[in-house]
Amino acid sequence: MPESQYWNPRHETMPREELEALQLRKLRSLLEWAGAKVPWHAERLRGAGVTPDTVRSLDDLRRVPFMTRDEWMQGQLERPPYGNVLAAPPEAAVRYHTTSGTTGRTPIRVLDSLKDWEWIAEMWCYALWGFGVRPADTVFVAFGYSTFIGFWGLHGAAEKLGCLVLAGGAMTTEQRVRQLADMGATVVASTPTYALRLAQEARKLGIDLVAGPVRRLVLSGEPAGSIPATKRLIEDQWGAKAGDTAGMTELGTIMVFECEQQPGGTHVIEDHYVEEVVDPETREPVGYGDMGERVVTSFGRGFIPVLRYRTRDLVVKVPHTVCGCGRTFDLYEGGIRGRVDDMKLVRGTNVYPRAIEAIVREHEEIDEFQVRLFTVDGIRDEIEVLVEVPDPGVDRAPLLERLAGDLAGAHEALRFGVREVESGSLPRFELKAKRVVDERTVIGGEGERRQ
Amino acid sequence: MRNRMGVELTEPEAGLVEAYERLAGVLRDHGDDLPPFARRNAAKALAVLWQVMNGLDMDPGQIYDLGA
Repeated sequence: MPESQYWNPRHETMPREELEALQLRKLRSLLEWAGAKVPWHAERLRGAGVTPDTVRSLDDLRRVPFMTRDEWMQGQLERPPYGNVLAAPPEAAVRYHTTSGTTGRTPIRVLDSLKDWEWIAEMWCYALWGFGVRPADTVFVAFGYSTFIGFWGLHGAAEKLGCLVLAGGAMTTEQRVRQLADMGATVVASTPTYALRLAQEARKLGIDLVAGPVRRLVLSGEPAGSIPATKRLIEDQWGAKAGDTAGMTELGTIMVFECEQQPGGTHVIEDHYVEEVVDPETREPVGYGDMGERVVTSFGRGFIPVLRYRTRDLVVKVPHTVCGCGRTFDLYEGGIRGRVDDMKLVRGTNVYPRAIEAIVREHEEIDEFQVRLFTVDGIRDEIEVLVEVPDPGVDRAPLLERLAGDLAGAHEALRFGVREVESGSLPRFELKAKRVVDERTVIGGEGERRQ
Repeated sequence: MRNRMGVELTEPEAGLVEAYERLAGVLRDHGDDLPPFARRNAAKALAVLWQVMNGLDMDPGQIYDLGA
């Protein structure tokens, strides 16, 4: 049999009607399991009048109450350490993981059994195989291997594929670059920001990545993996294809991946999830092509059933026909567009960190940047972008002026300050980059929340 | 052999389903009689084969009670 380009050919190319029948079947099983094993879910389902046998189509999923992070956290506070979401006894678990905690809040704590852990790797297999990673590859994982779940699943998936896996934990950036070069890594997994950081370090060390064997970069952890300018920069600096993925600790793994065709978006792994997109305010579903909040129902991890979880991720769903790879899985055009909570309101204009990054990355002379919001005279919001320009040969004034103009042009003429800072002075990130510093004394905007 | 969606499985696919069911049966009925090395390795193998069952739409359910 010729090698398949799909990890699970039958599922990935299933006619939509059959795929939805499969999802419905799995949804009923999930409702049965959650209702029987998690009193918290049972009470909510009972309150909404939902039983597995009354769920006759995927539309009936909308009768299930939303699940929120706040509720999950509240449960953890009331019943530490795991809250009221477990469907199996903690002693059945073999793994403990947490969210990254970048927002400063207490992390969500999750448990997985042997089977769930294998499923977590299985989801990454869809991504790796679909992006062209094969058993002959040597995969370098630039990740800290802590209780943050990060690339743990990718590591397991690469082993499952039969790749040689290099665990890049507890290493400096220089050590990582040297090892991936010495070992002839052909695939590198990292956040988009860290892929740029690794490339910068390689230049400093005189290692030519473009001429090297790396042919695939598997990106995750930040929306930047689908920002065209950032992706192009990464691909240029590595001489390799970069593919976006996105996941979350609440699911244990990824739910979307970019295929080899690089269609400008990520396929939803729809044989394992139902992903709804709703208006964050009205909670009503939005159609193809409209931006809304992802709401996920997962058929995977049984230890913690996830039913209609509001992710706060902003996405634009488009039909599978947008991509020519043959998969029938719909896509998120542009990947994860940002977070509902990310939006900043500055003098009446909506500002999204992702949009700023997309513009800054069009200017290749800029190495690192930071967005700073502050209050002037106690009342007026200001926004400035601090940039590092490492090349002394670059003519600064026109570059900064051009960037300020581009930012204003994309934001209803909102005035952006652009200021150069000393090269190497801005923070670098291995995990999720946090480039927005909000120092405003008054956060003034309807719909905006301080995190 | 057909899966739960009514699709006929290939012979090698059906072979894996049988292997899973045999393994699950041994763990369910005789798990406590096995020495630790056999029991835990079998549980790990079951966790991996569960992915095959799930991917073939055989509705394998949950297996926490079998140590996986």
